[in-house]
Amino acid sequence: MLPWVIANPGVRVDEVAERFGYSGKELTEDLNLVFVCGLPGYGPGDLMDAYIDEDEVVVDMADYFSASPRLTPAEALTLLSSGMALLSAGLASDALERGVAKLQRALLPGGDDSLVVDLPIEPDLVPLLRGAVQVGHTVTITYSGLASGLTTERTIEPWSVFSALGNWYVRGQCRLAEGERVFRVDRIRDAVVREETFAKPAESPEPVIDYSPGVDDVHAVIRLSPEARWVADYYPVDVVEDGPQGLTVRFSASAPLVAARLLVRLGPSAELVEGDEVAAAAADLRARIVTRYMASTY
Amino acid sequence: MKTVIQRLLNLLAFLLTVGRPVSADEIRHTVAGYGQDSDETFRRMFERDKDLLRSLGIPLSMAATDHWEVEFGYVVPPEDYRLDDPGLADDELAALGLAAHAVRVGSTAPGPGALFKLGGSPAQVAGEPLAANLGADADVIADMFGAVQEHRLVTFEYRDKKRRLEPYGLVHRRGHWYVLGPARGETDVRAYRLDRATKVTVGADVEAFERPAGFKAATALSDAPWDAGSDDVQATVIFDAEGAWWAERQLTSAAVVTRLGSEGSIEVTLPVANRDAFIGWLIGFDDHAEVTGPPELRAQVLARVRGEA
Repeated sequence: MLPWVIANPGVRVDEVAERFGYSGKELTEDLNLVFVCGLPGYGPGDLMDAYIDEDEVVVDMADYFSASPRLTPAEALTLLSSGMALLSAGLASDALERGVAKLQRALLPGGDDSLVVDLPIEPDLVPLLRGAVQVGHTVTITYSGLASGLTTERTIEPWSVFSALGNWYVRGQCRLAEGERVFRVDRIRDAVVREETFAKPAESPEPVIDYSPGVDDVHAVIRLSPEARWVADYYPVDVVEDGPQGLTVRFSASAPLVAARLLVRLGPSAELVEGDEVAAAAADLRARIVTRYMASTY
Repeated sequence: MKTVIQRLLNLLAFLLTVGRPVSADEIRHTVAGYGQDSDETFRRMFERDKDLLRSLGIPLSMAATDHWEVEFGYVVPPEDYRLDDPGLADDELAALGLAAHAVRVGSTAPGPGALFKLGGSPAQVAGEPLAANLGADADVIADMFGAVQEHRLVTFEYRDKKRRLEPYGLVHRRGHWYVLGPARGETDVRAYRLDRATKVTVGADVEAFERPAGFKAATALSDAPWDAGSDDVQATVIFDAEGAWWAERQLTSAAVVTRLGSEGSIEVTLPVANRDAFIGWLIGFDDHAEVTGPPELRAQVLARVRGEA
C-alpha cells in the first residue's frame, strides 16, 4: 500500500481501502504502525509520517518506500500464467490482453518467448454449459464414458465448467448417479438445457482433477522398448525399472480397457509383464477389431 | 505481530537507505526493535526476519563490508529491490485480479500480495468461478520460472537420472507443465514434464547461461509422437455411429466427411503425417473404426492389432 499512496498523494480513505482490501479501522491501525517506524535515530525527523487528514491518506518522509518490491517468482508466475491461460482460451478482455502484455515486458526481460500457457481449445458445448451454470438450470446430457465405452443419458445440476489436465470438465450433481460427478465436456455427445432450476450448494470444495489411484483400479506392468518410452511422459505411470531390457512401468487405470487400448496401440514395442484383467481386455479388443476387418472386403 | 511488522519496516528502511553492506551486529545495535535481546534471541529473531523479508520478494544478499573482504554484511541492492513497474492501468489490474481468481496454479488460491505490489486491485473480486486449474506443484513451477527469468541453472532428478539443465523456457500444454532446455554444455533442447521432476534445486548464479536468440518455447515443445511426421498418406476410414461423433469432433478441416446411410456412419478421408500416431488414435475407437484404404495402411492396422508390427 505504501508505495501506491506515496505515488498518489491526496488519495481518499475509501479508495485505499477498496484497492487494498481494508476496512476503515484496519487502515488506521496499519497507519498507526507505520508512523512509529523510520530510520535510525528514530527522532521526529527520522520517522515516517502516516495519518488520515480529513478523509485523505497522508504518508510522508518515506521516500525509500516509494517503490514496490519486485514480485517473487511465484507471484509473477501466478499472475502471468493466469492471464495467459485465459487469453489462450479466448476468454480475455481487452484490458487483460494489455495487462498481460505489460507484465510480459516487465517480467520476462529476454522477451516473451520463454513462457507459454495453452489451455485446450473449448469444445462447442462449453458456452452452453457455462450458461446453464450461470442461470442455474439443469441439463440433460448424453455421455459416453471414455473408460467404460458406455453411453448413458442423465440429468445433471451443473455447478462449474473448468479446464484441467488438458481437458474441459463440467462438475455437478448427477441425478442418475445420485452424487457429485465430473464429466469431460468433449465426451458429452448431446446436451439440452432444461427449464428446471436447482439450488447450487452454498459451499463446495474446489474440484480436483488429478489422476488419483482408486481401490477399484486395475494395474498392469508393461515393459516399453526404446521407441515406446514416450508413454512414460504421457500417461500417469510409475517407473518400476529402467534397465537394458527397456523401461518397465506400472500403469493404473479405472478400467482394463484403458490399458488394453494402450497395449494394442503399442504393438510389439510393449510387452505386458503383469495384469490378467488387462490381458483379457486386450485380447477381447484385438478380437473385436479383427472380426470387424475380416467381415468386410476392402 | 505488530512489533514484528514495525521491526521489519525499520530494518527495511535502514537497509534501503544505508547504501553499504551492514553486519548483523550493526543492525542489532542500530535498528529499533532488536537492541535489548540476548545473543541467542537476537540470532533467532534476525533469522526469522530475514526469511520473512525474502518471502516477500526482497533481495537480501551478502557482500563484503570492506575492500579486504574480511567481514561480510547484508545488503538490499536497490536495483534488485525495485519492481520494474509495468505501469498497469486500473482496468488492467482489475482484469489480472479476476484472472488470478479464475485460474489456479497449484493447489491453493493466491494471496493478494502480487496485486498489491502492482498498485492494488481497484475492484475487489470474490467468488469468481474457477475457469481453469493449471495443476502441479506450485513451488516447483515457481522455482523453475525464477530460473528461466534469471538464467540460473537447475538440477533435478528425472526418471531416476540426475539432470543439469539450462532452462530456456516454461510451457503449460495438454494440461502439464514442461521445462525446456539443453543439458548443461549441450545444445539439444529437450522437454521435461515438471510433475515428474523431483529434487529440484536452482543454481545460485544468475546469468549462468545465455539463451540463444530466436528461441521460442511455443515451437520448441514438439507435439511428437502425435502430430509431426514425414509420412504422406491419404487414409480412408469408416466410423460407425458409436465412433462418428467422437471422430468428427477431432477432425481438422483437411478431412473430408461423407455420410453413409441413415444410421450415423461416416466415411472420412484425411491426410496422415504420422502412421504410428494415426494408428494409435484409431485404436481409441475400439471396433467402431475401420480403415478401408489404402490397402497397405489397412494391412498395417491389422498387423498392429494382431501384435505383429
